[in-house]
Amino acid sequence: MIFHVDGSTGKKLGIAELNGRLDAKNSSELLTSFERWQQQTNLIILDCSKLDLIDSSGLGAVVSCLRKAIEKNGDLKLANLSPKVSMVFELTKAKKLFSIFPDTGSALQSF
Amino acid sequence: MIIREKICNNISVITLQGNLDASTSSILKTFKPAAAATHSLVLDISGVDFLDSSGLGAIVGIARKQRDQGGDVLLACMNNKVRKVFEITQVFKLFDIYDDVEAAIFNAEQKQSRS
Amino acid sequence: MKTLIIIRERDYTWLRTVFPDIHPLLFPICNKPFIEFLIDFSILAGSEAVRIVSDGSLIDVEEYCDNGSLWGTAISYSSIMSMDDQLAVIDKNRRFCSEEKILIISGLVFIQYDKLHDYKSLFASQPNGDLLVCNGGRLSLAGNPPELQKNSPLLSLSLIALDSLDGYYRLCMEILGFASSPYVLPGYNNEAYCHIGRNVVISKSAEIRKPVMIGNNVQILEDAIIGPGAVIGSNVIIDRKSTVTESIVLANTYIGEQLEVQNKIAAGNMLIEPEGGICITMDDPHLLTGIKKSGSVGSLLQFLVHSFAALLLITLQLIPFLILSPILTIQGKWKKSKNIYYTGTVGETLTLTTTTIERRGFISSLAAALSLDRFALLFSVLRGHLAVIGSSLELASDSNTTLHAVESWYHAGVFSYAEAEEWPVSGGDKAIVERYFAVHGNPFLDITMTIKAFFNRIHETNTP
Repeated sequence: MIFHVDGSTGKKLGIAELNGRLDAKNSSELLTSFERWQQQTNLIILDCSKLDLIDSSGLGAVVSCLRKAIEKNGDLKLANLSPKVSMVFELTKAKKLFSIFPDTGSALQSF
Repeated sequence: MIIREKICNNISVITLQGNLDASTSSILKTFKPAAAATHSLVLDISGVDFLDSSGLGAIVGIARKQRDQGGDVLLACMNNKVRKVFEITQVFKLFDIYDDVEAAIFNAEQKQSRS
Repeated sequence: MKTLIIIRERDYTWLRTVFPDIHPLLFPICNKPFIEFLIDFSILAGSEAVRIVSDGSLIDVEEYCDNGSLWGTAISYSSIMSMDDQLAVIDKNRRFCSEEKILIISGLVFIQYDKLHDYKSLFASQPNGDLLVCNGGRLSLAGNPPELQKNSPLLSLSLIALDSLDGYYRLCMEILGFASSPYVLPGYNNEAYCHIGRNVVISKSAEIRKPVMIGNNVQILEDAIIGPGAVIGSNVIIDRKSTVTESIVLANTYIGEQLEVQNKIAAGNMLIEPEGGICITMDDPHLLTGIKKSGSVGSLLQFLVHSFAALLLITLQLIPFLILSPILTIQGKWKKSKNIYYTGTVGETLTLTTTTIERRGFISSLAAALSLDRFALLFSVLRGHLAVIGSSLELASDSNTTLHAVESWYHAGVFSYAEAEEWPVSGGDKAIVERYFAVHGNPFLDITMTIKAFFNRIHETNTP
């Protein structure tokens, strides 16, 4: 998971790239990484362009990250969801919890 | 198993009656169609009561022989038992199958005149 | 009048790739197998017999429809070649068509009709030729032309091609939308817009919103909401608090708790978005899974018999193996290679070390004659991974990663049924024999076949 801070909009916004699958095996890794990223900024975008599939534990992890962000008055937004990943979000009603953008650029602008 | 041959318009029509299995399939394998007949022939299997793997082998073998000589074997009148065996083994994909002997003979003639 | 239903493999490849286990003619449209709509229509049109013709396999269709007595009509089947045109098809079914008028339904097409209309007199007076044509197929008349030829317009009859998941989805939703259906649909239809099957258990707190169709043996748990616009197949469980709207849930599917299925087709562990045709497979059992039907009892007997045969062979080959294999390894004629093969269970592969013996000289010929190259594989039979005799081992390659490249009858064995027979010459011949015995075999026949295969290998001049 690659994370970098983008200051192009004038605000410190974090962009994290998710790779491959997010499932029971690596979802805890996301949570610990997220806490690390929060030390740099509380406004984070998850770039899901390279995310192939997500299961219920992966979704659970992403929702927990959202909660952590809100607890610290921040936010977590999603960008570049593939149609397959989008369907899983829709199925579990998780789609309603997030602001979702078609690309990282529009996500950056939205903050 | 009884094997009969008749010639219609130069097309050899071979009619099989009985069981086509391990003990009888050799009869079909060694059968030689009449010299006057063409390389495309019709095999009427409506009278076949039972067909097993060696029977299929005999039919496939005879077709291979005729096709090697530029002809073909057209099958006529499959009953339910035979048709099911052809379906399961997918042998139906290898043959032109007719439900009427006359239609088979007609098409054998067409094939012969084209070759 | 008689009906000829012509369906070609190329008409239905798109559907077969998504749902390889169901024959397209048996695919459910609002819980009714597609072929039944065609049979209903044939009878309505005045047909006294139906023949289903295909260049692909019709075994499943024949098993379901049998001789047609269920519908009060005579159903028969025949095979054609892919390149046969309509005239060739009629020629191959000349005896069926005889002197009659023939209604030809060709392609994977859905006929939109109304069961209350009179089609008998309509078809009786129509001239020959194409009646309705669409991109997926056609409805035409052939054979004996009528005495009275009126080219009357075909009221209340139209044709849609079933050529995409989206088309299928919209058709089902459209049928749902009829208050009183123009088709005969399964289930109890005491209220308009609602069809419910047998043994349907709906929790008190669950809600059913019309229009909705539910199959047999369905469980709808607490607080679930079904509909509006839901088609639920048989053997389905919708778990608590989930909602299914504007969607189709096919048979044998489990939908987990608190899920929202909207505008989708759910089948087993596959979720499909009709519009884009996007399919995803779920591995997560909390979300979507398929509900499996119980396995066969006969497989235990087969395992025992095969293991017994394997043990006998191992006992027979043990001493020769211990003596000859070291000698041949030193001579360099004993070659081992490790590869991945299919086993016959869906999605399962097996890594096996296979041995080839170079037949040069007395010792190696003796070893090959005793089938010592198969010795190690016999242990896989005892472990339940292979049969002692079955289909020849098929290398799992990237080009056929799904088992559906290897057919449903496939069961890998140490020996192949083809080795027990003398006539197979090509790979195609071997497949014919293997398919035949996969269906007609039984565990005890397998022992006879194994012995035959063993003896045949003694005479073989080249080891495959």
